[in-house]
Amino acid sequence: MNAKANKNQLTSIEPAYYEAVTEAIRKEAVKILKEDTVVGVVGYLPGRRKGTATPALVTSVEEAEKLVFSPACVNNLSVYLTKAKKGVLKQGKVGIVAKGCDMRALAGLMTESQLQREDLFIIGVVCPGVYGFGVERTGTLTEANIARKCRECIVHMPEGADVAAGTHAELADLTPEEAEEMARIEAMPQAERWAFWKEHFSRCIRCMACRQVCPFCYCEQCLCDKNRPQAVESSPRPAGNMAWHLVRAMHLAGRCGGCAECERVCPMDIPLNLLNRRMAKELKELYDYEAGLAPVEKGPLNQYKEDDDQSFIK
Amino acid sequence: MQIITEQNLRNLIDLLVKEAKLVVGPKLSGSVVLYEPLTAGTELTLDALPRRSSKELFFPVCEDILSYKREGGAMKVTDVDRSKFPETVLFGAPPCDAGSPSILDAVMSWDYKDEFYLERRKKSTIVGIACTKGDDACFCRAVGLAPDTENGSDLFLTPLKDGSYACNAVTEKGQALVAAHKNLFAEGAGAEPVPFVDQAVQKLDLVKIKKWLEEHFEDPLWERIADICVGCGACAFICPACHCFDINDEGSTDDGVRRKHWDACGFAKFTNHASGHNPRDVQNKRYRNRIMHKFKYYDDKFGKTLCTGCGRCIRACPVGIDIAEILETINGKAE
Repeated sequence: MNAKANKNQLTSIEPAYYEAVTEAIRKEAVKILKEDTVVGVVGYLPGRRKGTATPALVTSVEEAEKLVFSPACVNNLSVYLTKAKKGVLKQGKVGIVAKGCDMRALAGLMTESQLQREDLFIIGVVCPGVYGFGVERTGTLTEANIARKCRECIVHMPEGADVAAGTHAELADLTPEEAEEMARIEAMPQAERWAFWKEHFSRCIRCMACRQVCPFCYCEQCLCDKNRPQAVESSPRPAGNMAWHLVRAMHLAGRCGGCAECERVCPMDIPLNLLNRRMAKELKELYDYEAGLAPVEKGPLNQYKEDDDQSFIK
Repeated sequence: MQIITEQNLRNLIDLLVKEAKLVVGPKLSGSVVLYEPLTAGTELTLDALPRRSSKELFFPVCEDILSYKREGGAMKVTDVDRSKFPETVLFGAPPCDAGSPSILDAVMSWDYKDEFYLERRKKSTIVGIACTKGDDACFCRAVGLAPDTENGSDLFLTPLKDGSYACNAVTEKGQALVAAHKNLFAEGAGAEPVPFVDQAVQKLDLVKIKKWLEEHFEDPLWERIADICVGCGACAFICPACHCFDINDEGSTDDGVRRKHWDACGFAKFTNHASGHNPRDVQNKRYRNRIMHKFKYYDDKFGKTLCTGCGRCIRACPVGIDIAEILETINGKAE
């Protein structure tokens, strides 16, 4: 579908849209569980507090009938198919509810041989956006409460899903706040930019929420947890914090699909997605590569070719 | 009743700063409010609950506990001079924060005396404030506190509708603070207090919950709730009552520092043994420990609940795990 041609000038996405998506997800989840197509479905359930939702690993039809989709469905659920979560659901094909940004993570994980397409049943969501942090959660999505990443979303349509829930809908004419912030930081003199990040990282308490929600931080032994010998100071102090965040940004370069979960979950409000985005920009400029747009055999930083440019080796 | 105007409260902070005391209070740091050293009374921000709790005043995110250096053939070890810890006044802590040190004192002065914590505690005065904010994550009433609980504060302030504060010197430390700055306080009837916000979570029967926990170390509830936990430390780090820490030697083998810093039971390696065995090998066992420690183990040992109902973990959890909802569920199950 041509997204541009169908762009209507919506100023808000009403609860009815999310209700329709919810119905479609429930119907599909119930069907694939009933038919034993999948061992479980990773989706969302409503939270206790108004305007919240939590990830859920449902295995029964009864639970599947309670699944929801709303602007509160912020989580990238693909993290539940990696790391320790692999063991939570039984072996077998898994259903997963995925927004466009989550699909990029799934594609990236397939690129890295962490997932096989045939092991997934993807219920794609045509997603107009989700809530930002600290906003009013009224059930209606508007320019005032939409997440910063969603303002510049290029993946409203979940391309490559088994089924799609929802029809095309998106908010019109949103200012690209994150792009503007990135331009502001890029324009800073180096010392000022260094000071900007130093100030942000000084608040880091090393709770590792950024790492734990990241679908691509699936290393069984994180370099930053090692203490014999210690590679990166694990204590929350300026030097180690800086090192950790640089390692994180570099290790995600060419892999991060831009879901911005790291930034969303940071209890100290560190704008981590700016780093991810900057890395993505480098990859685009150097290799004309955008991670997660489609599964590829290997990303540019994950492969070696004999004719690679080696002039950087001095 | 003793009354202090908002201006005089800020003046009091200025005076204490001049007296070379460390004055800490909620202050805007970037886009978040944190408990930070105040350099002037104008910096005090009382309209938001700080993102991290005030426990870090006594139990910092990270602190040096000794340093070592090889000199010739011998290793010279230098202790931290705790007598240099400054006299501290904490301003603006609501009951869910002001109440946490009085919970933590028990474990910090138990079989091993944590001299770092205790020295800071001895040298600090807590000026608590009744909470008139609150949101749907707050549940202090459910765990036995209230927006006007004075216990834990040395001096307790109650916001009044005219912008001033009613003051109650709860302890000798609080009385001494008022006595030393008498001219800033006035006797008076005071205006009406600012009303408190209703809380969504009803009072919990903590005895009943504890009994249920005793009988349900193994229960499907743990998997159902905690299988979505991603194993970060956000809940524990911003909690006023969580107090686990790790110790790391950082530097080289010849010259370095031993540091104590926050740790969290949600981390996969928290109970990883040197043998490689980990008794809490999956996330739901780790999450169970979080609940057990707060509502059973700590009560067994010290007769206190290790939770003040501040709601920070609920607001911060990346996957929306809601401890108040879990407690309500257990409360509903328990006989």
